[in-house]
Amino acid sequence: MNATTAATLPVPPSKPLGLLDWLTSTNHKQIGTLYIVTTLGFFGLSGLMAMLIRADLTVPNNPWLGRQLYAEMFTLHGTAMIFLVIAPFALGIANYILPLQVGAPDMAYPRLNALSYWLFLLGGLVVMSGLLTRDGAAAAGWYAYAPLSTTGAAGTGQDLWAVGLLMVLASSTMTAINLIATTVLYRAPGMLMWRLPIFVWDMIVTSMLILMAFPPLAATLAGMLIDRLLGGHLFDPSHGGSAVLYQHMFWFFGHPEVYVMVLPYFGIVTEIIAVFSRKPVFGYTGFVLSTLAIAGLSMSVWAHHMFTTGAVLNPFFSAMSFAIAVPTGIKYVNWIGTMWRGAIIPSTAMLFSVGFLLNFLLGGVTGVMIASPPIDYWANATYFLVAHFHYVLGGGSMFAALAAVYYWFPKITGVTLRETWGRLNFWLIFIGFNATFWPMHWLGLWGMQRRTVTYPDLPHWGTLNLISSVGAAVMFVGVLVFLWNLWVSLRWRVPAGDNPWDGFTLEWATTSPPPEFNFERLPPIRSERPVWDFHHPATSAP
Amino acid sequence: MPGGAGATLQAESIHRLLFIFLLATIFVGGTTYFLIFWNLIKYRRKDDRVPPQFRGQHLIESVCIGTAVAIVLVLFVFSNDVEKFVDLDRPNALVRIRITGFQWSWRFEYLGGGPVITGTPASPPTLVLPIGETVHFEITSADVVHSFFIPEFYFKRMAIPGYTSGFDLNVVHPGVYRGVCGEFCGLDHAYMNFSVSAQSQTAFAAWLARERPARARAP
Repeated sequence: MNATTAATLPVPPSKPLGLLDWLTSTNHKQIGTLYIVTTLGFFGLSGLMAMLIRADLTVPNNPWLGRQLYAEMFTLHGTAMIFLVIAPFALGIANYILPLQVGAPDMAYPRLNALSYWLFLLGGLVVMSGLLTRDGAAAAGWYAYAPLSTTGAAGTGQDLWAVGLLMVLASSTMTAINLIATTVLYRAPGMLMWRLPIFVWDMIVTSMLILMAFPPLAATLAGMLIDRLLGGHLFDPSHGGSAVLYQHMFWFFGHPEVYVMVLPYFGIVTEIIAVFSRKPVFGYTGFVLSTLAIAGLSMSVWAHHMFTTGAVLNPFFSAMSFAIAVPTGIKYVNWIGTMWRGAIIPSTAMLFSVGFLLNFLLGGVTGVMIASPPIDYWANATYFLVAHFHYVLGGGSMFAALAAVYYWFPKITGVTLRETWGRLNFWLIFIGFNATFWPMHWLGLWGMQRRTVTYPDLPHWGTLNLISSVGAAVMFVGVLVFLWNLWVSLRWRVPAGDNPWDGFTLEWATTSPPPEFNFERLPPIRSERPVWDFHHPATSAP
Repeated sequence: MPGGAGATLQAESIHRLLFIFLLATIFVGGTTYFLIFWNLIKYRRKDDRVPPQFRGQHLIESVCIGTAVAIVLVLFVFSNDVEKFVDLDRPNALVRIRITGFQWSWRFEYLGGGPVITGTPASPPTLVLPIGETVHFEITSADVVHSFFIPEFYFKRMAIPGYTSGFDLNVVHPGVYRGVCGEFCGLDHAYMNFSVSAQSQTAFAAWLARERPARARAP
């Protein structure tokens, strides 16, 4: 393999893609782009629902949104963010970036990949289509406890919710198979498993979690549909079914799902922090092993969501949940160690990654608190819990997702995003996010339970909720700045070049955007940083 | 530190536990935040020199793993100790109350021939409890999953249809406390409230005598 001109080969310009090309493409880059754009669309929709929720809660004793609409909004907000934004955005980034990072021309099964995307889009639309039915969308919360969701008032929207999610689950399962197969079978010569970029490792482990955790949810949803449509009583205690069983089955999926929603983002920030510290990842092997440990432990902590049922062996699930804090905490050693003695470049992507570090830490330590059953008796189902998981998924995953957009935008579009708008975007979202969710810790410990359309005028409750709603508005402006930045950068193009960040991994060895089958030539792969080694031979791998 | 020391013996121990966890959080969080900001400031890129390209440091990694394991072990021991007390379940207590959640109110049945109190969203029921006495509860639901939550007791327990679980409370301070439903249970979830009136043992005995024989309040 001749690598002397690898990074600068001229590539003939490809003709712009038409609508038919997008609809029929099996190329991983088009499918990845479709995924990313679609999840940004669902992010906007779901964000607007969050704005309605915050507007409703701005002042006490003012349930102007109405009980039914409020329940639909928090149900769809949670469902969409979890199933249609955070998890599939990572799958979209992986679709685009993972084949490039392992040096492959495409995914292992391109047509299966196209099926995954279109099934995902259809499933998302089916979930949302409940809004068009006469009795409204699903309104039983995103975990839809039986028997509230299987009997009684829940209408057609609940059926559409379950059917749509089944499609999304099937889609994610196929993508997980595809990502594993691509990594195992299509790695370029020299790309040993222990030279895979951390992001690829994290996607492998995420895919394994998807394969283990999503079938149980599919079974749960099938059970829900059997109860609702075929007169079954699986989860209906009045006919011998079990409501506790539903919770077990749901959370057996639900906790691994949390790691499906954070592991890819661990990978993303690890890549970004290393590149913008101009140093290799600190403790690569430990990072990979701790990711595997998280995956293993995450299969054995599900009932910590059920501490307050009185139906599970709390000390066991508590101990396992404490244990999972160790490999998660180790990541911080990797991240801080990577910055240590580096040459840190504070780009927007790096700012969002640092924002991830700061926010996710808070979500992590509150997670350790509620891993203690007595504290969970206090905090569970209150706004303390709402604050906790928003710090994990919003302050964590969402910040990492925005970092990913700023980092890989040049590779995908050929142009960089504006750094000035990027900084404004970061600060608005960072300040807005913390103003929204920090006060909820107090509200929760003072006993404000979640999912109520309104709340009494107790001391300070109105003030803290007002701060929270103002914070949400600031975040909303931050998102508008983000969209403006996308528009400005695409309209008035500043060419990025092939390797604007002095990157490490193979996607930076090809053109921006890459040609149809990705690479004309590859640099030699002798470490986990082939492109860095190529450009900095004096400092290359041992 | 939010909230007072708690209104029950159980709440007092949970409150102490949260304090220990907050100390650990401040230690771990403070150290991590300090290291992040210190690195960001000290190692900001100044020139084009390539920084040292080391790939790890086994001693640092091992010490950090050891510290993390030690911290969570200690926290688990504290937590488990408190849980053993909070989870005490003594069905032979003198005062026993059966709680039934339903859409959207509560029914409190004083076992052993005591009164039955049933509320509605419009007229929330009052749960009368003696102080300085172990009260045993068993809880279930008549329809969907609810959660019996008294914020000032720092305690909640799900009411699950087809399943009954038990717990104990020892109220320390007399007073009136707010009770709510902690698990989303349908349209009127926000209005499924009740109040708790904790009284001295003599006042409680007098109330119990007045309310006997068992009779249901409205509706």
